Amino acid sequence: MNEDEGMSLIVKTLTRSLFPIMVLFGAYVILHGHITPGGGFPGGVIIATGVVMMLLAYGAKKAKQIVNVNQTTILESFGALTIAVLGLLGIVLIGQFLEGVPGVGYIGTLFSGSNLAILNIGVGIKVAAGLITITYAMLELEGGH
Amino acid sequence: MIVDDLTILAIVVPLIGGFLTPLMGMLGRKVGSPKVRDYFALLVSIVTVVFMFYIGKAVIGQGQMLTYSLAGRLAPWGINLAVDGFAFLAGLVGSSVTLVAVVYSLGFMEQGHGLDKYYLLLLILSAGMIGVSFTGDIFNLYVFFEIMSLTSYGLVAYYRDGKALEGAFKYLVIGALGTVAILLGIGVLYGMVGTLNIADLSVRLGAIQAASGFTSPMMFALGLFIAGFGIKIGMIPLHVWLPDAYQAAPSSITAAFAGGTAVVGVYALLRSTFMLFGAVDMSTIFVFLGFVSMIVGAFMALVQTDLKRLLAYSGVSQMGYILVGVGVGGLGAGLIGVEGGLFHMLNNAIYKSLLFLCAGVIVYKVGTTDMDKLGGLSSEMPVTTLTFLIGALAIAGIPFFNGFASKLQIYFATLQVNPLFTIISVVISALTLAYFLKALGEVFLGQPTEEVKESIAESKSIPKKMLIPMVFLAFLCVLLGVLPQLGLEIVEPASEALLSRVEYVEEVLHAAI
Amino acid sequence: MIASLHYPIAILMFVVGIYCLLFRRNLIKMVMGLGILTNGVHLFLVSVGYRIGGAAPILTGGLNQFAGAPVDPLPQVLVLTSIVIDISIVALALSLIIYIYREHGTLNPDKIRELRG
Repeated sequence: MNEDEGMSLIVKTLTRSLFPIMVLFGAYVILHGHITPGGGFPGGVIIATGVVMMLLAYGAKKAKQIVNVNQTTILESFGALTIAVLGLLGIVLIGQFLEGVPGVGYIGTLFSGSNLAILNIGVGIKVAAGLITITYAMLELEGGH
Repeated sequence: MIVDDLTILAIVVPLIGGFLTPLMGMLGRKVGSPKVRDYFALLVSIVTVVFMFYIGKAVIGQGQMLTYSLAGRLAPWGINLAVDGFAFLAGLVGSSVTLVAVVYSLGFMEQGHGLDKYYLLLLILSAGMIGVSFTGDIFNLYVFFEIMSLTSYGLVAYYRDGKALEGAFKYLVIGALGTVAILLGIGVLYGMVGTLNIADLSVRLGAIQAASGFTSPMMFALGLFIAGFGIKIGMIPLHVWLPDAYQAAPSSITAAFAGGTAVVGVYALLRSTFMLFGAVDMSTIFVFLGFVSMIVGAFMALVQTDLKRLLAYSGVSQMGYILVGVGVGGLGAGLIGVEGGLFHMLNNAIYKSLLFLCAGVIVYKVGTTDMDKLGGLSSEMPVTTLTFLIGALAIAGIPFFNGFASKLQIYFATLQVNPLFTIISVVISALTLAYFLKALGEVFLGQPTEEVKESIAESKSIPKKMLIPMVFLAFLCVLLGVLPQLGLEIVEPASEALLSRVEYVEEVLHAAI
Repeated sequence: MIASLHYPIAILMFVVGIYCLLFRRNLIKMVMGLGILTNGVHLFLVSVGYRIGGAAPILTGGLNQFAGAPVDPLPQVLVLTSIVIDISIVALALSLIIYIYREHGTLNPDKIRELRG
């Protein structure tokens, strides 16, 4: 894609206002994964789509300034680490891997289902970072796998 | 108690270690030495093998089966790990092969690019292998199996040249078909009995079998599983991707495939068919498929001009032996057959990886594995020649090498069922010896060709790190050949575990109570 | 009869997918065929969990909501996971195709045969 200049002004303005909404929506889907459909995976995809949208509208150069591959690599590993740490915490504090650390709360509210919410966050970060990396790689913005 | 935790840690450590490798790579670049990442990967694989050692002491030494419920949710509703002798064997081979591959890669891949991702994929591959072996839930098995497959697709494409891409794409498409088959099989089983836990499935399917025989949905699911897992192990006629992928991948990766993913594939195949559907009925299929693979693999290997393709086809042939061994075990030879098959699986992992690592050394030194262009390498690479010779003798089943011990057992087992089987197996063994001698002669003996002389003049000396794993594997070949009891100590519990449906179920479901 | 409609459609998708995979001489269409194939299987899986007259298993009003039988949520989770796996497969396949296209300039699999035997 050789669109270093991005698309027209209308598209750019719209995208700029839509982007935070998309990220917010993605975060909502992630956090409510244990009560409503969705969870880590689709939420991460939504956030990644938001970034890709910005990429399309603004062109490669500007997009690189916003999110850069090194950052995504770190984020990806961070996501994996969250899950691992939570799991290991389960072993240390309670006795089995992944056992609930905050404990089961009120069913049907945001704080239910023990550590599922935090797990979803970890997964969501990971998925979003991964998809962004893939998109960048496909467009040969950073090269690599 | 602590050993139980090790089962989950054995999966988690390589997984997280793999994901941390790019970080280590970035760190290494800041500090100025890329070795940080390499040694980190090495550390992770060593730690995993150490875990295996402790798990082995419990499973083999004390004969207990380890179960572990994830998130404290008990079987059969939660996901649990179940490590019996057979699972341990598969996990042990998987983690050891990874360690061998990592050590080898430290030397082999020095000038590579994108090594961050290479080690990441390799470590996650090992996590996938151990995950498949240790899990007690069939959907979990599917997920880890996919983790294994996806990382392999990526690793095959590492060199990114035409051959690598074609091999990777073929592998991917065929592998994806296998994925779909397994998923469909799981769906059918779930529709039939409503559970995903292997032990629970075993109980309920057994009940259906006892009540109304072998129903058609069960046959459908069985066929799907055999197809799906058979793709991974290179069973004829699902092997089409194998020569291309094995040839195009870096040799360390091919060694990991031959010794790791193929073994874990056999584990998945046998576990799902024996545990879910009962041993005896399956066996005829396995014997049949095994013989086809044995024969076709050997004949295809005869006509190859590329060393790695030859090794790939011979791997298909050896896989046939494994299936035949296990098959006749079910048909009437009993424990001897299954032991022979599993022991051969273990030996195959050892000498196949050894042979592929040798091929890698040749690539490193000379740059090609086309046997027409090679010749007279023995003077330049004495260690490689010797280890290749040992590997070749082992695979052909010459006495004093490990291949002989397992093949002999398979011969005994087939003799009890049908002497014709034995004759075929022996003939194929002779054929194996033939094409290996041809390979040995063409590559190592004789006069060096022009290309060889040129490449050797420009190349550097072989790093020790590549030679160490090769020597180690060759040593194992001889050790297990002279003292097969060592191998049998691990294989016997595995075979018993494979044949005993009831004990597995009791352990897993009782742990819940 | 509605429940029975899902299965034939799933199988139809499956067949269409296989057809695309085998007979289209274009790598990207092969990947699309793969996608259709996997989604056919997913449809099959979800249909397995269907209960006639069941409600969607989303908890919004406390525990008494499930007085009637909800649809089995387990296959939905399976499908969710499987969709993720398939995304990865498709992403990998597409990346490979990008590289292949750069190497060979064509997307016809018959022309891209370097390996033989």
